[in-house]
Amino acid sequence: MKIHSVSTRYSWSFVCMTSLRDRAQLMTNTRCFGRNFVTASSSLPPVQLPAQREVHFWYVLPDEVKSTNLLNQYLEILSPCEKEEIFRIREEQLKKSALLARALVRTTLARYQTKCQIDPKSFKFKKNNYGKPEVDWQSADDWSLPPLHFNISHTSSLIACGVAVGSPIGIDVEEKQRRLKNDILAFAQRFFSPHEIETLTHIADPELRLQEFIKLWTLKEAYVKALGKGFSASPFKTFTVRLRDHMKGDIHALRHVIYKAPDITVEPSVDLKNPSSNWEFVLLELAGSHYAAVCIEQDSIDPGSKSGNGSMPINLTLRKTIPFVEDECISANDSAVVIGGLARLAVCD
Amino acid sequence: MASLAQSSISLPSLSNRPLVPRAGFSKPSSVSLSISGRNFPSIALQSRGRQFQVRCAAKPETVEKVCELVKKQLALPEGSAVTGESKFAALGADSLDTVEIVMGLEEQFGISVEEESAQTITTVQEAADMIDKLLESKA
Repeated sequence: MKIHSVSTRYSWSFVCMTSLRDRAQLMTNTRCFGRNFVTASSSLPPVQLPAQREVHFWYVLPDEVKSTNLLNQYLEILSPCEKEEIFRIREEQLKKSALLARALVRTTLARYQTKCQIDPKSFKFKKNNYGKPEVDWQSADDWSLPPLHFNISHTSSLIACGVAVGSPIGIDVEEKQRRLKNDILAFAQRFFSPHEIETLTHIADPELRLQEFIKLWTLKEAYVKALGKGFSASPFKTFTVRLRDHMKGDIHALRHVIYKAPDITVEPSVDLKNPSSNWEFVLLELAGSHYAAVCIEQDSIDPGSKSGNGSMPINLTLRKTIPFVEDECISANDSAVVIGGLARLAVCD
Repeated sequence: MASLAQSSISLPSLSNRPLVPRAGFSKPSSVSLSISGRNFPSIALQSRGRQFQVRCAAKPETVEKVCELVKKQLALPEGSAVTGESKFAALGADSLDTVEIVMGLEEQFGISVEEESAQTITTVQEAADMIDKLLESKA
């Protein structure tokens, strides 16, 4: 007996299918009037949409959100169904984490309508056939937004939301120091591809091996989440993620040796159902404490994407946020580093 | 939470004859089926909107053992409420935790879980059901 269920990958999705009554109510709530509303959403500074090959990465640190008042504000923008799900969680930290995740998605998406105010509460979400949460744009026929793609990921200490236009997106974050209960190699033998197992086996230092493991894990997670077809479509063993180290240097002037972040590629081990040459990755180190992986689809009509040498980097805009309170643009000078993939940290506009 | 928006169920091909439950479907909590003289363990039917979720209930001891392992994996404090209904994610598990839990269960029960199942289990009950099913097919 096989029961197809939704993986914990999309755990904080709380998707409640839109009922007819909800739809009717939604129609009266989503008027985007083109003048300033004195609502909570007026303290969400609007943001330009990401361009092609651009990713917006928003994250919140639960430890920075302490005010009960603020948490209540977040509760207010959730749907009744989402609220119910949160109340069912018993442990306080987990409750808070779930709340922040939903609030982060709603407030982030609300920022992208620059012409008028969108009430974050008015978003409806649905799941695709495999359980991946998406915005239900059909409920939003009043707006003039192109379909945004988003994906969330969280650890107990960081909750992130990635946004892209024109490409599905998958993200995953993990604490760098996260310990496994199992032995890393035993775990890899069980779940990773042969090449990845080999890579890990060749790293002698346990700390470095753990870090490499986590990098691979986040990249693999981000890929499967970007694909949006659930784990069944791409079990971890069936594809290989490679980080190829690069050193580019001018042999005539060694002081100008440029370190280029490793290229990241993904290859299917067996099947060609998911042509994987179309996927691009970025791997970040955040605040010295987390790895974050982002996966988006290459634009097939982008002239830069076809040639190996001339690929254009992905522009990644990184923002730490406390929704309704403050946004901080994180540049490459701060504790955020691109450690894999062809990408650069763009300045926020 | 990750709720089942769609469930697809394929019952084993014993049913050349239609299943005839003794109880009606209107408000079922538990139905026991008898086919070809063989009694199946009680099947719990839950209606979720228009769809039904059918599962063969695992032994309580299995559920208990899964709870213990989950508590250990997630380092939950003593006395944490973990039951069959508990969803891993609601207990703080992310996808890596879930896979670790599955690996721990494989070792503990001496079973081998399908790749696809490893990350699609979301509750203690689902894990226990899967374990008992695998143990049964091994026996």
